[in-house]
Amino acid sequence: MPLLLKTTRFIESQIDTFLDIVSDSATTFQLAIEDYLHGRIPEFEDRLSQIREHEHRADDLRVSIERFLYERTLIPENRGDVLAILENTDEVIDNIKDSLLQFSIEMPEIPIVLNELWMQTTKASVAAVEQLVFAVRSFFRDLGAVNNYIHKVYFFEREADQIGERLRRKIFATEIELSRKSQLRFFAIHIERVSDAAQNVCDRLSIYTIKRQL
Amino acid sequence: MFFFYLLSGLFLGWSLGANDTGNIFGAAVETRMLKFKKAALIAAIFITLGAVFEGSGPSGTLGKLGSVDALGGAFTVALAAAIAITLIVRIGIPVSTSQTIVGAIIGWNVFSGRLTDYRSIITIASSWVMAFVLSAIIAAVLFYLAKPWVNRSKSHLLVQDLFIRNALIVVGAFGAYSLGANNIANVVGVFVPVSPFTDIHIWGPFVLTGVQQLYLLGALSIVVGIYTYSHKVMRTVGKDLFHLSPITALIALMAEAIVLFLFASRGLYNLLLSLGLPTIPLVPVSSTQVIVGAVIGIGLAKGGKNIRYNILGKISLAWIAAPILAFLISFTMLFIMQNVFEQKVREKTQYIFDRITVTKIINDGYDPAALSSVNGRSFTTERDIYHELTEFRDLSRDDISQIIEIAEIYPMLVDTASLTKSGMYRRFSPEQLSVLRRYDGQEFRHKWQLKALLTTHKEFEYYPKPENELQKNQNRVLDEQLNQLYRSFRIEKE
Repeated sequence: MPLLLKTTRFIESQIDTFLDIVSDSATTFQLAIEDYLHGRIPEFEDRLSQIREHEHRADDLRVSIERFLYERTLIPENRGDVLAILENTDEVIDNIKDSLLQFSIEMPEIPIVLNELWMQTTKASVAAVEQLVFAVRSFFRDLGAVNNYIHKVYFFEREADQIGERLRRKIFATEIELSRKSQLRFFAIHIERVSDAAQNVCDRLSIYTIKRQL
Repeated sequence: MFFFYLLSGLFLGWSLGANDTGNIFGAAVETRMLKFKKAALIAAIFITLGAVFEGSGPSGTLGKLGSVDALGGAFTVALAAAIAITLIVRIGIPVSTSQTIVGAIIGWNVFSGRLTDYRSIITIASSWVMAFVLSAIIAAVLFYLAKPWVNRSKSHLLVQDLFIRNALIVVGAFGAYSLGANNIANVVGVFVPVSPFTDIHIWGPFVLTGVQQLYLLGALSIVVGIYTYSHKVMRTVGKDLFHLSPITALIALMAEAIVLFLFASRGLYNLLLSLGLPTIPLVPVSSTQVIVGAVIGIGLAKGGKNIRYNILGKISLAWIAAPILAFLISFTMLFIMQNVFEQKVREKTQYIFDRITVTKIINDGYDPAALSSVNGRSFTTERDIYHELTEFRDLSRDDISQIIEIAEIYPMLVDTASLTKSGMYRRFSPEQLSVLRRYDGQEFRHKWQLKALLTTHKEFEYYPKPENELQKNQNRVLDEQLNQLYRSFRIEKE
């Protein structure tokens, strides 16, 4: 029994660490965009490498959790659901990394007039991810609270969509070449995709929550 | 010859292992909370412990089985029950072993011309409904109690999982222990009086008695049944009937444990009795019907949409079919055993209405005129007496059973050494044994004569007209002890 409890506590802490990494990645994403918009490129590149590291650690943790759950046949009824949640949440980090990587490769020039909307879109996406982390934590610890957080994720995802739409309109209203407009549009969409990924996890999470309830 | 006869008991043990373990661990295994191997190991250990250390003596169902007085008959009855159970378990449906055994015993009763106690049939039939409904209600109540706990629980999913897993093991082990303790008598209890095993002194005060060795053998046959055949029944209980989650599996198992405890615990019965509270009747309930009832209760509490009613229908049908099948097999096989293999399947019992028995019957308050058609005659079957007595007089079945009991010739020789040899002495107090020793060597022709003599002693206190539950219980306990004595002291004569 103490050994089993030790294993349980160990996996619990691994799941918590995994979620901490997701949360950290979201915050780092916001700071990286801020750095980029303000032209602090070396700092931006530092943030990108941090996110890369986060992504690797998250992948390792996810695989380790999966292995433990299967090897010890823990939570047999919810195992598949938990793994799906972890895998989908992991995709959020992948999205964040892909987005920053594109910035690093293409180094798009963003007119200063777009900065505020760009930041607002980023913040809404990051807020969606943070609420997602709360929702996933609640799925493990406080089932009753999951729906509140899911509701918040949907709210911020809509918010990111709306601001993102405004941003794209503004991009195309700005006096720059069409090729740059087109390029910036894709970057705006990239940022919105982060909140879309959070929403995808929540779609599943709400079903898994119903499944877990008596 | 003993070991050959014992084979049918072991076959019955095997079928019990295949059938009843599914009731305990089916839900846990099918929700994948416990691996089959682990569940089988826990069941094997605790069933064996329960059987060897707390194996109840011939009581309940076995009390009726004990009335099968010849070893050949007991062999056939056990074999018939085992075949009936195996046939139904083959299609993956759990049946009630006790009720199937009773079906086989009724087959013996009919074959040997004994009167079947209708009350016990009614008790069994009502226990089908009662155990089922009660466990469904308890499971539903537990479900509603657990609902807020699960839905608002702040403990981690993994901790909940650990808790449920361990609870399933603990409750399952407890269930396996009770299964071993209660059912071992059904398996080999009938062979206790003729067992050749003697006590083995292991070390110091530790002794493995002859009875315990026999029970150990029975327990091993149950274990073989678990490993070789119980998986199919587990699937029906844990998956096919209604999809259980680990928490609902635990609720079902807890409801099962509660119901079995309520109806089978003599301790609880005595406690309620001593506190002057109304008692719960000690009815032989089937673990199969209880677990299926619990699963249905949970299914209904969850809205009743996902219950597979066709499987429930099949199971219910099997509950009726199993005892009937056992009855038919038993009757047919007894006929073959007696007439083809020329084995003794029943003792030749005589019933005599001479001066002694008729006086006793009249003293017990029966109308002498009622005996006019049987007075001075002797009979070989209970059925003949029944026909004679019911032809002219309106005697109740109970009255006739009482009269038959008095008229039955059952030669006995008091021999306390035989009690020591078979290990039966443990069921009597030292004071009771010293009373018995006083009559060593004395012969009796009728059971009631021994009873009348023993009940004059305060060690064998009996209440002819019990006024309360406490006295009724005392009578019941004494009757069980007396039945032990009758069987142990029986001699071949006349």
